[in-house]
Amino acid sequence: MAEDREVLREVWEGKIPVCFQLAQEDIYTVDQPDPFFLLVPRLSYFPLVTDKVVKHLSKHIDRDNQGEVWLEYEGQALKWHYPIGLLFDLYGSKADLPWNLTVHFQNFPEEELLHCPSKDAVESHFMSVIKEADALKHRGQAVNNMQRKDHKTLWNGVMNDKFDQFWSVNKKLMETSGEDTFKFIPFRVYQADQVPLQKLFKPTDDSGEVLTLRQLLESSVSHFKESESRVMIQGVEPDLETPVLWLSEHLSYPDNFLHICLLSSPSKVLESES
Amino acid sequence: MSEGLEVTKNECLTQEKKEPPLNSEPMTHDDKPPKSTSSSSGKQKNPSKVDILLKHAGDAPIMSKRKWTVDRTKKISWVADFIKKYIKSDPSESLFLYVNQSFAPAPDTDLGSIFDCFGSDGKLVLHYCRTQAWG
Repeated sequence: MAEDREVLREVWEGKIPVCFQLAQEDIYTVDQPDPFFLLVPRLSYFPLVTDKVVKHLSKHIDRDNQGEVWLEYEGQALKWHYPIGLLFDLYGSKADLPWNLTVHFQNFPEEELLHCPSKDAVESHFMSVIKEADALKHRGQAVNNMQRKDHKTLWNGVMNDKFDQFWSVNKKLMETSGEDTFKFIPFRVYQADQVPLQKLFKPTDDSGEVLTLRQLLESSVSHFKESESRVMIQGVEPDLETPVLWLSEHLSYPDNFLHICLLSSPSKVLESES
Repeated sequence: MSEGLEVTKNECLTQEKKEPPLNSEPMTHDDKPPKSTSSSSGKQKNPSKVDILLKHAGDAPIMSKRKWTVDRTKKISWVADFIKKYIKSDPSESLFLYVNQSFAPAPDTDLGSIFDCFGSDGKLVLHYCRTQAWG
């Protein structure tokens, strides 16, 4: 893993320019609020980065009717408990930049979104996903052997965007040497308007042969057709022959899951560029 | 963009007021516990359903019937609401569900995925409790 540390850093430093605008129906003041621009880390979560946005826009709303804040992109409510980069890959990867999001203070879509009462909710969700990932990789032993302060270090690393701090602990979760190789790969496959797929998938087959992203997709997605889909992880379209173990070690989000987006591909036009 | 938005919002509103936060997926009625067969009663398994075993933790009441058969498409939030009704807990009270006595899947996770990854011996064990027991 060490030789590919640069990849980890590149992935960590991925950012998305976002333009936040207040929903028209929430505007309560005569003057129109200015949009708010922000460069947000792909690996973070919206509730961790939007304090200033909310503060700025809330000057223009009816404070007496203020509900829970939520974000929307072209009619799609955005789940706060998905990493930002995943949301962008899933819904915004064809959008012009900056990514234009609408901020709502009313009419919370109960059917689509979970409530996010505070940043603590994001932390407990994040830690839970880490534990789930480790349950798949090491039967939960790596995360259980950690102390509470290690868990905090992971979280603070994400919250404060500190690569070294996060990886000082995360490397224990990414341990694959010798007998310790991942038992299963923590991954989810996302497709627009569908429930995410999650299955058991081993990094190697019974004869020790390394398994690839293509094999993962073919075994977990029914009717997977390469010609009809773009496969996107962390904003890149990896070669389908890439070993899943390498992807899991390098392109996983901080929650230790490989979040794979399957997009329909009328836009395979860019393929000739290399 | 704002026009498209209006449509979605209205849809959300109408749904949101009427239904409890249960899924409106094909299933038995929401106000009754799901019609279930304890797995001992039937040999053949319906592939669209999974067996779950509900165990209490902490001070949460024990359920007299612990084994249920539930649609794979049901969400964790649905199971939590179901348990709350069964143990006559106030809907506003929180209830946490744990897998492997270690992590709490997001409420919008479908049971089928969790079963596929963490079920064993043909069933998925879920612990429920009123406070955050693990993690």
